[in-house]
Amino acid sequence: MGASNGLYPEIEPFQSGKLRVSRRHEIYWEQSGNPEGKPVVFLHGGPGGGTEPKHRRFFDPRRYRIILFDQRGCGRSTPHASIAENTTWDLVDDLERLRIHLGVERWQLFGGSWGSTLALAYAQSHPHRVTEMILRGIFTFAQDEMDWFYFSGTRFLFPDSYDEFLAGIPEDERGDLIGAYHQRLVGPHPRMRELAAKAWSRWECSVASLIQDRDLVAHCDDAGFTLAFARIECHYFVNRGFMEPSTQLLDGMDKIQHIPGVIVHGRYDVICPPRNAWRLHKAWPKSELQFVETAGHSANEPGIMSALVSATNRFRLRPS
Amino acid sequence: MNGEPRRGFFPALEPYGRGMLTVSELHTLYYEQSGNPAGKPVVVLHGGPGGGSDAKHRRFFDPSVYRIILFDQRGCGRSTPHASLDHNTTWDLVADLERLRVHLGVEQWQLFGGSWGSTLALAYAQTHPERVTEMILRGIFMLRADELRWFYQDGANAMFPEAWEGFIEPIPPDERGDLVAAYHRRLTSDDPQVVLRAARAWTTWETTTSFLLPNPASIEAAKTERFAIAFARIECHYFVNRGFFARDGQLLQDIERIRHIPATIIQGRYDIVCPMLSAWDLHKAWPEANFVLVPDAGHSAYEPGILDQLILATEGHHPR
Repeated sequence: MGASNGLYPEIEPFQSGKLRVSRRHEIYWEQSGNPEGKPVVFLHGGPGGGTEPKHRRFFDPRRYRIILFDQRGCGRSTPHASIAENTTWDLVDDLERLRIHLGVERWQLFGGSWGSTLALAYAQSHPHRVTEMILRGIFTFAQDEMDWFYFSGTRFLFPDSYDEFLAGIPEDERGDLIGAYHQRLVGPHPRMRELAAKAWSRWECSVASLIQDRDLVAHCDDAGFTLAFARIECHYFVNRGFMEPSTQLLDGMDKIQHIPGVIVHGRYDVICPPRNAWRLHKAWPKSELQFVETAGHSANEPGIMSALVSATNRFRLRPS
Repeated sequence: MNGEPRRGFFPALEPYGRGMLTVSELHTLYYEQSGNPAGKPVVVLHGGPGGGSDAKHRRFFDPSVYRIILFDQRGCGRSTPHASLDHNTTWDLVADLERLRVHLGVEQWQLFGGSWGSTLALAYAQTHPERVTEMILRGIFMLRADELRWFYQDGANAMFPEAWEGFIEPIPPDERGDLVAAYHRRLTSDDPQVVLRAARAWTTWETTTSFLLPNPASIEAAKTERFAIAFARIECHYFVNRGFFARDGQLLQDIERIRHIPATIIQGRYDIVCPMLSAWDLHKAWPEANFVLVPDAGHSAYEPGILDQLILATEGHHPR
C-alpha cells in the first residue's frame, strides 16, 4: 500500500470571481495555493456536483496554482440548476475561456467520475493545453457504462437501494427510467421535481462508498444540491453526454497519447465499474492504472484520496 | 465494524466416524461425523457444485452442541468416481441427502450451506420440508439465468476486468457469445490437457472474485489439478443444464413450502460471484427468515464478517 497520504491542510483562495461564458451563464471560479505555481484545474463530478473547499486540498499549495470552478448551473454558478445551453461541449469551451481569462498557458487536469469525462473531452479538443491528467472513477459515457448504473449492473449489488430508486416511478414507466426521471425533473411541479431530485441523488450517494457514508447520503438530501445535481445529470444522460457515437472518447484517445497521467479507480466502484478504467488504460498506454482494492467510487475513500495525493505530488515538480 | 471482535472458527477437530455410502450403481459418497454424537444434527452442504467438503467446515459449529455431518457430493472431494458427470443432477443430490439421513439414523437436521450449498439446501428443503429444523444460508444462489449471465457473461466482468481476461483467454472470440457452453465443450473434451487448461481458468475466475481483498493463496490452492477438474466440470455441467430445474426461478417460486422453517440468510454486500440481488429476492419472498447483510464482505464463507455471522447463526443468536 505504501505510505498513506492525507489531504493538504485547509486553505483559502487568494482570488475568486465570476466569468460570463454566455448570455445566460456565469461561472464561479477561484484560485488557491501558489500564484506562481504549476497550474491545475479541478473538474468536479456530476455533472452538476459543484466544487467544495475540500477539493483544494488534493494539491501541494506551495507547488500548485489550484483552480476550481463550478460548471454551468451548479455550485455558485448561475443561473442555478439551468439546463439550457448546458452541454459537454459548452463546458469544454468554458474551460478554454477560463484558461485564457486566467492567463494560463497549459494546465494539469484533475477530475473524477464526470470530471474524468470532461477531462478527456477537453484534452481531446485541446490536446496541447494539457500537461498531465489525473483521473479517478472513470466514466467515458459509453453506452454500456450508462446501462450498468441505471439498468444492468449496479442493481445486482445494491438491489435494496435500487428498489428505492424505482419506487418513485410507476411500473408502466420503468421501461425508460431515465426518461421518466427527466420528465419529473424538468416538469412544472416543484414538489415532484424535488422528490425526483432526491431519489435520483440518493441512488448515487447511497452506493458511492465502500461502506455507506452517512455524511455523503445526508448531503444528497440537501434540496439545493440535489436539484442542480439531479437535473443537470439527468439532462446529460438523456442526451447521452452529447457524445457521438457513445464511444467517442475511447475512440479519440489517439489524439492525446502524448499526455502522461494516472488513473485511480476503486475496485468496488459500482457506479463506474473498474472495467471503465481498464478500457481507458488500454487505450492510453502512457497512463498508469491503480486499482484501490478497498474503495468504492467516492474521492473521499481513504485509499483513493491517498492515491490521488500521491499522483499530484509526483507531478508537482514537472514543468508545465 | 462496530469495534466488537468478530467470532472466529471453533478449534480444529477430527471426525469420530467416517464412511463411504453407495448411492447408485456408479456413485459412492464420502461422509464424516464430528462433534457430539448425541448432539443436534447439522449437515453441511458444500459449494460448487463440485467444491467438496473441507476440514474447516466442521469448525462453524460448537462441537459440544452439534453432531456435525459433512459429505462430498457426487463426483468431488473423496467421493467416487472423481469428476463424474453421469447421474449427477440436483435431484440426485437431493435423493442422496435423504439416503444419508436415513443411513445415519437422523430424524431431522439443520441445513448449513453457502453458494451452491444454498441452492441445494433450498431444493432439499422444498422437497423434504418435514426433515429440516433450521436453515443457515450464505451467498445466495438460485441458479437463475440472470445469475449465470451475471457471473459468466456480463456483470462480474465489469468489476474484475483483469481477471476476466484470464477467463476468456482459452475461448476463441467467435465462441465467446456463450461462454458457459464454450467451456462445457472443453471441460468434457477427450484431451486431458484441454480439460485441465479450461478447468484452471474456470476455477481461477471464481476464486479471484470470491474475496473482498485479493487472496493469492486461495487462488493458487484452487489450481490443484484434482480440485480444479472436479470443480469446473461439475459446475459447468450443472450450469449448462440450468441446475436441472423445471422452471427458471423455481426455488423462489416454491418458497411457500418452507416459509415456516426458521432460517437465516447471510449475504456479503460485495459478493461478486452471487450478487446480493438473489439474497434480496429471497428475503422479499421469505420475510420470516432473518436477513443479515455484511457490508464489508465478498462471497467466501471465510470472509471475517461472514464467518462471524455464520457462527452467530449456528450459536442460535439470530432471533428465531
